[in-house]
Amino acid sequence: MGNLRKNYLSNRVNRRSGKVVGLGILALILILMPVLVPNTYYIHLLIMVGINSVLAMTFILLLRMGLITVATAAFWGIGAYTSTLLVVRLDLSFWLALPASTIITGIIAFITGFPLVRKGGISFVIETLAFAFIIALVFGTFDVFGGYTGIYNIPTPEPIRLPFLAPIEFISKTPYYYLMLFLVSLVAVVLSAFYAAWTGRAWRAIGLSPRLAESLGVNLFRYRLLAFVVTAAAAGLMGSFFAHYYGSIVPGTFGPFKSLYAQVYAILGGVGFAILGPIIGSLIMTIVPEVLRIAKEFEPVFTGLLVILLVMFLPDGLLGLSRRRPQPPAKSMARMASWIRGFLTDHSRSDQQ
Amino acid sequence: MSTILEVKKLGKRFGGLAAISELDLSVVDSEILGLIGPNGAGKTTFFDVISGFLPPSSGRVIFDGRDVTGSKAHQIAQLGIGRIFQASTLFMKISVLDNVLTGHHMSYKTRIWKRLLRTPSAFQEEELLRQRAMEILEFMGLASLKDELAANLPHGHQRILGVCMALATNPKLLLLDEPVTGMNVSEIQTMIELIRQIRDRGVTIVLVEHDMKAVMNLCDRIAVLNYGRKIAEGLPDEIRGNKEVVEAYLGKGK
Repeated sequence: MGNLRKNYLSNRVNRRSGKVVGLGILALILILMPVLVPNTYYIHLLIMVGINSVLAMTFILLLRMGLITVATAAFWGIGAYTSTLLVVRLDLSFWLALPASTIITGIIAFITGFPLVRKGGISFVIETLAFAFIIALVFGTFDVFGGYTGIYNIPTPEPIRLPFLAPIEFISKTPYYYLMLFLVSLVAVVLSAFYAAWTGRAWRAIGLSPRLAESLGVNLFRYRLLAFVVTAAAAGLMGSFFAHYYGSIVPGTFGPFKSLYAQVYAILGGVGFAILGPIIGSLIMTIVPEVLRIAKEFEPVFTGLLVILLVMFLPDGLLGLSRRRPQPPAKSMARMASWIRGFLTDHSRSDQQ
Repeated sequence: MSTILEVKKLGKRFGGLAAISELDLSVVDSEILGLIGPNGAGKTTFFDVISGFLPPSSGRVIFDGRDVTGSKAHQIAQLGIGRIFQASTLFMKISVLDNVLTGHHMSYKTRIWKRLLRTPSAFQEEELLRQRAMEILEFMGLASLKDELAANLPHGHQRILGVCMALATNPKLLLLDEPVTGMNVSEIQTMIELIRQIRDRGVTIVLVEHDMKAVMNLCDRIAVLNYGRKIAEGLPDEIRGNKEVVEAYLGKGK
């Protein structure tokens, strides 16, 4: 018995130290990336991967508690527009606008969350969809937001002046890359802390069985609202970064379509992996179309096809593969055949859930 | 003998259908009260109203001297009414221990930023709650299964786990919806023993059950519902001989 326990403990320690080593190697590769990949276009892609992975992380957090949101990109946009207006209209420094727009996005989520998170399920999907359309409409209509042509010439972040060193100027892609790396790590650490704390346990309980969670004293509304605000703030943070990195924003970028893409990144990586899944998913979805040189027009077709195949064969995502034994191809084919047969004969299937 | 739960003229309507009407019922501290009646008599609806999942249409619910009529489910849980559901409602995809720890949700006192920063006091509290969860599992005889997924447990153990989770909320009153339905004879015996022990620790119990042998064996008092009304109340022996109760179950003799 004592031996067993010792083995168990040492296994755990080994696994933990393995994790630390893995993270260390990953961090090293990520830090050296601008040296390893001198092509600025690829650095740009990696910056977008960072932004996209945060959006996917926020989607997963809400999904785990049974809330499917289509407003991910809307809050991303709110962050972007808030930050832009703070800098352009109020002459605020980017370094103040970044946290300020994060907080303001959180406050907006807090206010809109009151009616939105009361009910879960399908009504939440519809309500966030409506919210996403309204936000895009607001950005497109009012002159403050630059109408449908958006806002151009957004100032770059002010140089960071360190003692004894040359100031870090935001001219090349490299400083943006490192800033992105810092922000994504920050979001990942904060979200992991929430998952590890008892908030994470309450969120999981709500996702698994809201009724049972309530009977154990979990305040559904409060925990849903907390999750809504936290995810919106994270999206807003990336929005602020995006606006000043990209230099221009248009309402179309922040529509519900972008939110659907965030869902694809999350599902591709595996929704069981709250942090790593989104990173892997958005990395593949960004790099693969580039490598295959798929024309921009066909990219949605590729994405759509991928989603269908994913849902059929890899419902747990790519990282989910590490948790299950591989299935022989014959079995997969049989599953596909039965799926198609089922689809052809029984159209009511998609309505159930 | 003090009253822990008092229900006055309680009514619950679903459109034109009266699931419960004019129900008066008192539950005495530390008793085991059985609630029986034919299918559709309103027993589960009664539990739903008491535990705050459904608002009553009329009447009052007084728990532990406080009017809790219309309170939300999580508020009622916080006041001390624990509940297990009819079907095996558990967090199936997580371990037995995690299920019970989720039941400890309300016990967490550490402020959120301390938890996010993982201060030692947050860890201490986590450890303390883990110990308490293990105590409950040991008391209920599930300690050896603590790392098993809830979904992998046999039916009988799942029902017991449901009770463990309700116990983790530190209830004064426990509502058990069909605790022994679907169990085999030895499982029923275990469950009856456990329910008695829970009561001996000072928890009042109201249970709904169709297994008459278990109800008669276990309960101090029994109340009978039919069509949402209380038709009888008394000691098990009195209920067994009550003509109206027999008619409700078997129909009127010609």
